[in-house]
Amino acid sequence: MKLSLQRFTKNDVSRHVAPVLFSIMLAFALIGGVVHLRSFMMEQMVNERSAQLEELIGQIRLNLRYGIAAHWNVVSGLDEALHRKHYANSQELLDIIGDLEGKFRLDLYSSRIMLLESTGTVYTRDGDMGIWDDIKFVAGGNSRYIFVTDTSNVKGTYLAFAQKLEQPIVTDSGRVITHLILLKDIASVKKYYDTESFGGHAATYIIQKNGTLAYYDADEDDVIGVRNIYKALGEYEYVRGRNFAQVRESLAENGIATANIMLNGTEYYYCLTRMKDYDLTVMMLIPAEYVAISTRSMMESTFQAQMAFTIILLLLLVLAVVSVVKVQRSSQLVKVEQEANHELNRLRIAAEDALHVAEAANKSKSVFLSNMSHDIRTPMNAVIGFATLALTNLEQQDKVKDYLSKILSASNHLLSLINDILDMSRIESGKIQLDEMEANLSDMLHDIKDIIGGQVQAKSLELYMDVIDVADEDVYCDRTRLNQVLLNLLSNAIKFTPPGGTVSVRIAQLHGAAEGKGMYEIRVKDNGIGMSQEFAAKIFEPFERERTSTVSKIQGTGLGMAITKNIIDMMGGTIEVITEQDKGTEFVIRLEMRLRSAKKTSFRIQELEGLKALVVDDDFNTCDSVTKMLVKVGMRSEWTMFGKEAVLRARQSIELDDAFHVYIIDWRLPDVNGVEVTRQIRALGDDTPIIIMTAYDWNDIEEEARAAGVTAFCAKPMFMSDLRDSLLTALGQQREKHTAVLAARSSNTSYEGKRLLLAEDNEMNREIACEILGDYGLLVETAENGAKAVEMVAKSQPGYYDMVLMDIQMPVLNGHEATVRIRQLPDKALACIPIVAMTANAFDEDRKEAEKHGMNGFISKPINMKEVMEALSSFLR
Amino acid sequence: MIKKLNGKTCGYIAAVAVLLLSFLLTGCGSDDTPKAENGKEKVTIALWGNDLLENYAPYLCRQFPDVEFEFVLATNSIDYYRYLNEHGDLPDIMTVRRFSMRDAMTMKDVLYDLSNTDLADTYYGTYLDNYTYSDGTVNWLPVCAEVDNIIVNKTLFEENGIPLPTDYDSFIAACQAFEAKGIMGFYPDYGQDYCCMEVLQGFGAEYLYTMEGREWRQQYESGHTDQLDEKVWLPVFARFFDLKEKTGIQPEAATEMNFVQKNRFTAGKLAMYRGTGNDLITFTGRAGKNDEVVLMPYFGTEKKDDWYLTYPAFQVAAAKKGMENPERKKLILNIMQAMLSQEGQNNISHGKNMVSYTKDVKLELLPELDNLRPYIAENKMYIRLASTDMFKVSKSVVHGIIKGELKTPQEALEAFNEQMNADPAQEPVVVHIDKGYSHEFTSRHGNQAASAIYNTIRKKLAVDMVFVQSCYVSGDIYAGDYTERQLSYLTHTDAAWPMLARLTGDQVYEMVEKTFALKSGYGVISNDSTLYVSSGFEMDIARNGDGSYKLNRLTRNGKELDRNGVYTIILMGDRNWTNQLMITKMGITDFSYDIDKCNVQLYDYLVKEGGKLEEPTDYITIN
Repeated sequence: MKLSLQRFTKNDVSRHVAPVLFSIMLAFALIGGVVHLRSFMMEQMVNERSAQLEELIGQIRLNLRYGIAAHWNVVSGLDEALHRKHYANSQELLDIIGDLEGKFRLDLYSSRIMLLESTGTVYTRDGDMGIWDDIKFVAGGNSRYIFVTDTSNVKGTYLAFAQKLEQPIVTDSGRVITHLILLKDIASVKKYYDTESFGGHAATYIIQKNGTLAYYDADEDDVIGVRNIYKALGEYEYVRGRNFAQVRESLAENGIATANIMLNGTEYYYCLTRMKDYDLTVMMLIPAEYVAISTRSMMESTFQAQMAFTIILLLLLVLAVVSVVKVQRSSQLVKVEQEANHELNRLRIAAEDALHVAEAANKSKSVFLSNMSHDIRTPMNAVIGFATLALTNLEQQDKVKDYLSKILSASNHLLSLINDILDMSRIESGKIQLDEMEANLSDMLHDIKDIIGGQVQAKSLELYMDVIDVADEDVYCDRTRLNQVLLNLLSNAIKFTPPGGTVSVRIAQLHGAAEGKGMYEIRVKDNGIGMSQEFAAKIFEPFERERTSTVSKIQGTGLGMAITKNIIDMMGGTIEVITEQDKGTEFVIRLEMRLRSAKKTSFRIQELEGLKALVVDDDFNTCDSVTKMLVKVGMRSEWTMFGKEAVLRARQSIELDDAFHVYIIDWRLPDVNGVEVTRQIRALGDDTPIIIMTAYDWNDIEEEARAAGVTAFCAKPMFMSDLRDSLLTALGQQREKHTAVLAARSSNTSYEGKRLLLAEDNEMNREIACEILGDYGLLVETAENGAKAVEMVAKSQPGYYDMVLMDIQMPVLNGHEATVRIRQLPDKALACIPIVAMTANAFDEDRKEAEKHGMNGFISKPINMKEVMEALSSFLR
Repeated sequence: MIKKLNGKTCGYIAAVAVLLLSFLLTGCGSDDTPKAENGKEKVTIALWGNDLLENYAPYLCRQFPDVEFEFVLATNSIDYYRYLNEHGDLPDIMTVRRFSMRDAMTMKDVLYDLSNTDLADTYYGTYLDNYTYSDGTVNWLPVCAEVDNIIVNKTLFEENGIPLPTDYDSFIAACQAFEAKGIMGFYPDYGQDYCCMEVLQGFGAEYLYTMEGREWRQQYESGHTDQLDEKVWLPVFARFFDLKEKTGIQPEAATEMNFVQKNRFTAGKLAMYRGTGNDLITFTGRAGKNDEVVLMPYFGTEKKDDWYLTYPAFQVAAAKKGMENPERKKLILNIMQAMLSQEGQNNISHGKNMVSYTKDVKLELLPELDNLRPYIAENKMYIRLASTDMFKVSKSVVHGIIKGELKTPQEALEAFNEQMNADPAQEPVVVHIDKGYSHEFTSRHGNQAASAIYNTIRKKLAVDMVFVQSCYVSGDIYAGDYTERQLSYLTHTDAAWPMLARLTGDQVYEMVEKTFALKSGYGVISNDSTLYVSSGFEMDIARNGDGSYKLNRLTRNGKELDRNGVYTIILMGDRNWTNQLMITKMGITDFSYDIDKCNVQLYDYLVKEGGKLEEPTDYITIN
């Protein structure tokens, strides 16, 4: 042993030991690096999670602040309205509660009114509810309180907005009302803090100032499970660095705070926000595994990759010392085998997936065919049946007329069915791509209003459209598809609402959108026949229509809502339905749209900076929204819900030498109409611009209104741009949009003597087209294929044909080629002739294809005269 | 090589091993849970009143046979517990009837926070909110609500053709109609501070529970003011002046106690008086009459202004000290759970005249309390404002009004506010006690603190004997300076009525034996801490197997008690016990109640007469 040791020289040692030492050092360095990286990443993850939660709770705080402000506005409105009346006894107080709840549409706020008498007795619309158990919450001497109340006086749990009346109301019978309380159903507060970010695992706690739990909201059981939440939070183990004293400090300083704790062996994150001045703190508690999932998974992947890399590096290092060649060879073999196995496995999974897909598709196909068969046969049956009847009753003109109108109705239904089926199948096969383009929400809503106006009027319905806090109306979206969705919902609403009912559309911009995007909520609501909950659950499935005595009288394909849902899904939005039988239905769409930031201009109007405006509308939300917009314009704004008060305020403002500079008045007010209010304001000698806003067509009243002194009109829904335009018009800086529109609409074009060339291979279609177009005074010449059409155009004199209607699928030369050839004609006047595609290929791609080949327009078959006339008015002017 | 150990070394090793083992088995030798002489774990409970000795204390003993309870009858105020805390002597569990959050706040740091316990969970949120501090801490929990209002002999009204009142004016009219017939209308026991306070607040409830009144009260309870608000309180005093004038309250009313009015009521000489649900239950009716009695509210200007006055039967809290030991904490919370349970509450005042604050306890309301139901449903229950100052100052000001010293409501209000300003820290020292004595019962020496007190009383009253339950002495006697208030803390002031009697030796035997034989009710012995202390004679007793006690013999100065001798004796306790025992069971007629209470005697002797506290004696032997 001693001898053999002696054989190693110093060089031998350094030659053999040095690489080993180097390898060990390298290994340690790598392991150290990994450990350090791991700890760094964990720290980063905590920071990232905390940051995300802070952002979330910050947003909740903002939502709550806005929500609270909105409710205080309502309370102020109620306070004002309450003081407007004189009360003889407590019964009159009870009556006014009911009146105001209706007038202020408190059902929209899930709220009700409670009045507190000096003795501690509370009154709701249901009567005297006894001494209020929670009176202590308002006895601190402040003028406003917000707190959760859950007492035996009023059934349910509410968020109470309590306002001490500056001037108590004293009835003739001696009752003294000291406080007005708005009770808001606690469940409706959820929308301010609701989040889908954590897969439904976030629990919400509403906590009182003293740290005790006032309300718990979550699907799961309360893991904290005690009354004094702050005490419990102070006793838990904090995972990284913080303690509850620091959390409270942060809460006091910034109004928000986050931390992570161990609770029954599980790590949780919690975030708190406290509403300054009110007894209201909201806490979210989320298991750590659901916080920042994507960040965590990214970091874990990175770490795993790093680990794998390190391990491989270490292995290689070790293996290199033993036998580089051998290891390399064997590792290659292993790798090849693993890859082969992996590939085999992948193929097997793919085959299984394909099998599942095929089976599912097969099943869907069967269901689809069965539904199709029924839904197509039904109108076809009517067409054939009534056609047969018509043939056998030719001599009885009245009967024939009746049968033909029924055939027309069945055919129209069949057409919409086919359109929907094709749309649906294209959506499902992924052939439809969204085409994002610049859009203006105001224009879109006004257009939709114009489109459905006729149907609404025909059915004697009321249509309300309003806008809540939309700051960005210029967006990018697939306007056509979004229109389709809204029209679908609205035509359903119209269809299922009996005459005299109301259909409303409300668009609001919500908070919480990503940078550069806007989150919009569109609510389409009716007070029609509603749906059963069973049906509502599957309303978005294809071919679903509710079978009830009322509904079965109403035609539909059963695909509209499925298409709507698919489109919204494609847009990355959500749609939900809230419905109750015999009460009505509301569809709520939430959609994120890219903002046209370049369009973002200042809303301010220099001339109106700092001046005072008065908004008069019987709907509180409109008052609130228009007031906010006016503030953005730079004005000071006041509002009232009553016409008489508006006149009173106008008089007072003139007397106080702080006159209003603009009045924005709703046409229909509960006490005096807008025109009368205008007249009375003018009678005060006030020549301030007055804008009448209305949800209705103002043609009928325009003359009277102008005579009364109205400066301009503005149609609801009123977006920021509409308001600015109206204000600028009122200031005389812009021509009234409406006048221009009216002028354009009033020009009634005649097509008498205009000549069309119709390229159509199908003789029957040619005949139908000739007949229909001929009825409108048009001269029609025909070509049976594309080549013939090219020839006829080429041989004609410029101006002989006013337009070409071109079928696409034709023998000899198809419509596209024919158009290309016409566009290539040497005579530029002939080459520029308007060519409109008229085809049964009615999809968007077909439309784009037609455009690509040089066509100017597109009409789908069967011929819809409205579309044809619109095309003609565009090209034959 | 291992050396063989000799016997001495083996002995050392064995001793060390035993020592180590015993350390391990006893948790390293430190068990800080208090133990009684008999090895049981000891828990001290301060009871606010002697009513709780009747059924409640025996109930707790039955529930926890492995616990040795030390019951003491505490002075009914938070101030008293603050005083005990200054001596590091807080009982494990405390009860108090006179309560306000304003007073309780000062004890917050030494009491256990019950906010996150199962106990707190059983309460209706709205009640618990009233006991929650601004940081969420809950120290005190209320036990069922007592109602304390106007007891009305309905039959007497019918007999005299006087309609039952519905509001203040008809109440005054009824009082005057009775006066005209030579029957007193309404006469409460103004000798008691609580009566002065309740009548003042009860008839003023309609003003005190306006929004302004409630706002003022919140300011007062949270310590932001100690002055009555003129706008709120002036009408309250005005109403009391009106009551005095129209019902003809005389100056001597200021000394009249509850039993005086009760006797008049029972005799049919009084139509209405102030009393609790318990008074209603125990009313037997006029002799030979089947009287129907009802509890009516304090009347307001109109019927809608009538309010029932209420307050918790008592509040319960636990000392923080000792709760750091999980086992001890569990035991204390279990005992409190038993105190607040259905059975526990049933043992308070028969469980029939109370309203429960907890979700899982249902108490029965007597038919006599039927007219209370709509008021409960409407929540028209005025909770008395019961800070220590309120009791004290209300008595002083109401007496001032009754005696005609305060002539207008404004004067009364100003006098009230002036006294509310008084600082208790400025109270003068009145006596110095040289030597302290423990209250803890031992089988050799009994309760030394109680023995010292009653030996002193015996000397003061120059009687042969004193016989009283040792728990009427509230706790340890500390050596040091005492103010008048602190001196009164030594004995329970409310319920121990001294009865002076003359008994033969045989009768003394009979009295002790009959007392020991009690199985329930007033005067019953539950355990060692509720045993009687004797002064002027010694007791040799034995424990029975069922936990009760048996008298072996009595001695006087170590010699057998002369059965034929005649002795003057002072008995102290609830009148229900003394009356039952001496009059009903023993037929004694030679007795008198015309003696001041123990605290007055003690004050007179030690302060006015300059006497010294007597040494304790070994008055008991337990075999």
